[in-house]
Amino acid sequence: MTRRGLTLAATLALVAALAAGLVVATSPPRPATAQDAPAVTVQRAHAASATPTLKRRVVLLTIGSDSGAPRFGRGGSVESGRADALQLVIIDTVKKRGSILSFPRDSYVPIPGHGTNKINAAMSFGGPRLLVTTFEQLTGLTIDYYALTSFDGLTDIVNKVGKVQVNVDMNLRDSFAGAFLDKGRRNLTGGQALAYARARKTLPGGDFDRSRHQGQLLVGGLATYQRQVKEDPAKVMTWLGIIRDEVKTDLSFPELLRLALLATDVPASGIKNIAVPSVAGSAGGASVVRLLPGAYSLFGRLRAGKLS
Amino acid sequence: MIVAARNQSKFRVAALAGVLAGVLLAAGCTSGGGSEGHGQASGPPAGSAARAQPLQVKLVTMAKVPPGGPSARRAAEQAQPGLERFLDRYLTAAFVDAAGRKGGWGGLLRLFDKPVRASARKQLDALSLGADAAKVSAVRPGRASARAVVLYGEKRPAAATVRLAFDGTADTAKGSGQVHLRSVLQLLATGEGWRIAAFDSRTGPPK
Repeated sequence: MTRRGLTLAATLALVAALAAGLVVATSPPRPATAQDAPAVTVQRAHAASATPTLKRRVVLLTIGSDSGAPRFGRGGSVESGRADALQLVIIDTVKKRGSILSFPRDSYVPIPGHGTNKINAAMSFGGPRLLVTTFEQLTGLTIDYYALTSFDGLTDIVNKVGKVQVNVDMNLRDSFAGAFLDKGRRNLTGGQALAYARARKTLPGGDFDRSRHQGQLLVGGLATYQRQVKEDPAKVMTWLGIIRDEVKTDLSFPELLRLALLATDVPASGIKNIAVPSVAGSAGGASVVRLLPGAYSLFGRLRAGKLS
Repeated sequence: MIVAARNQSKFRVAALAGVLAGVLLAAGCTSGGGSEGHGQASGPPAGSAARAQPLQVKLVTMAKVPPGGPSARRAAEQAQPGLERFLDRYLTAAFVDAAGRKGGWGGLLRLFDKPVRASARKQLDALSLGADAAKVSAVRPGRASARAVVLYGEKRPAAATVRLAFDGTADTAKGSGQVHLRSVLQLLATGEGWRIAAFDSRTGPPK
């Protein structure tokens, strides 16, 4: 073929290719047919998640015992000590919110079969069950479960989960409890968390401040748990293992798991930390705390489901 | 979950690429060569159904043990077969045996713990072939892998977190397509075996 013939052939090929391409490119889309096989499959994405559906309201009494902590020189069994940290945790499982009611340990209340005494004595009189009964009688609420730990248990829990983030609400310089913390968001070690939960003598509000701080620790623990589980869902197993080892409870393991899974779904910001209205007083020469009428109206609102 | 459809935009892009290729070829800027086709997702090669692999879950298990309990390794080894069987049952009920199903997900739902079963029933599309099961004639399992962290009780597994990934091919009257599942399952050991106590699950194209 001559040079001229080659040029002509190349030009024709170019024109043909352009024409073919343009025809296809400008043709209207063809409807999909079975003859287009292999068919391209396009998937719609579906996402779902669910945590267990439990009864509408779950009420848990969390107890910090002053016994059963050899590392802190506290002998005896954890169940036979005095209950120095007392929080009633009420969760509305439908609305995914809740309240933590913090009770001063010196709250002077009727204890079934034991007259009127400081509420923390109930456990030393009759173990966690009597303490639960005392709370049920006091508040009119049915308490579903209790969870009990010691000084050792609290420090171990916090150290094993790797610190707990708490909004420390005041500067603390309490050498009695070993609490030296600055106000603000802090990641507390086990020792610091225990000190924050125990500090009382140097605080302006004394026992009232202390019980509020204990509630803050629980909220901080919940937030820490949720943050960790969001990053790694297997952390549920880590926390469950730690709780199983460090906490005494009447929750069966399946109930504990379901509650732990539910807890991933209740935002910590939806938990109110409420100090039960009370005032310092005395009884028989001992300093006690007396619940104010506002405490009983608070219990009434809780019973009516108006405050979770 | 599966929709058979021609991807028209891909077809147009391929046509424009053809124009460009023609120009380049004519200009002598390329040595030519075969085309990679039109960029469409490939369907199953002829006879692939006959070569379908059986479902086999590749599971890696870790265990968390209580003080004084068995070693973590031993606990993991002990938990592994039961977990594998459970995941096999799940994927079989959710995908392999679900082809052609027009309802009746009882077998799958029984694998869920009661407090979460109603939620699972409402969200089957994210847990299984779901509503598209009726359109599917067969599911050919591909990769099925899982990583489990098992919480060991005193003598036996008590709970586990499982990250599950499953890819398969679904055959429909209009062709074949991929099915994918990515799930995090929180499992509870019960007297009847493992049950799903919570889930975070997704079907559709992997991210």
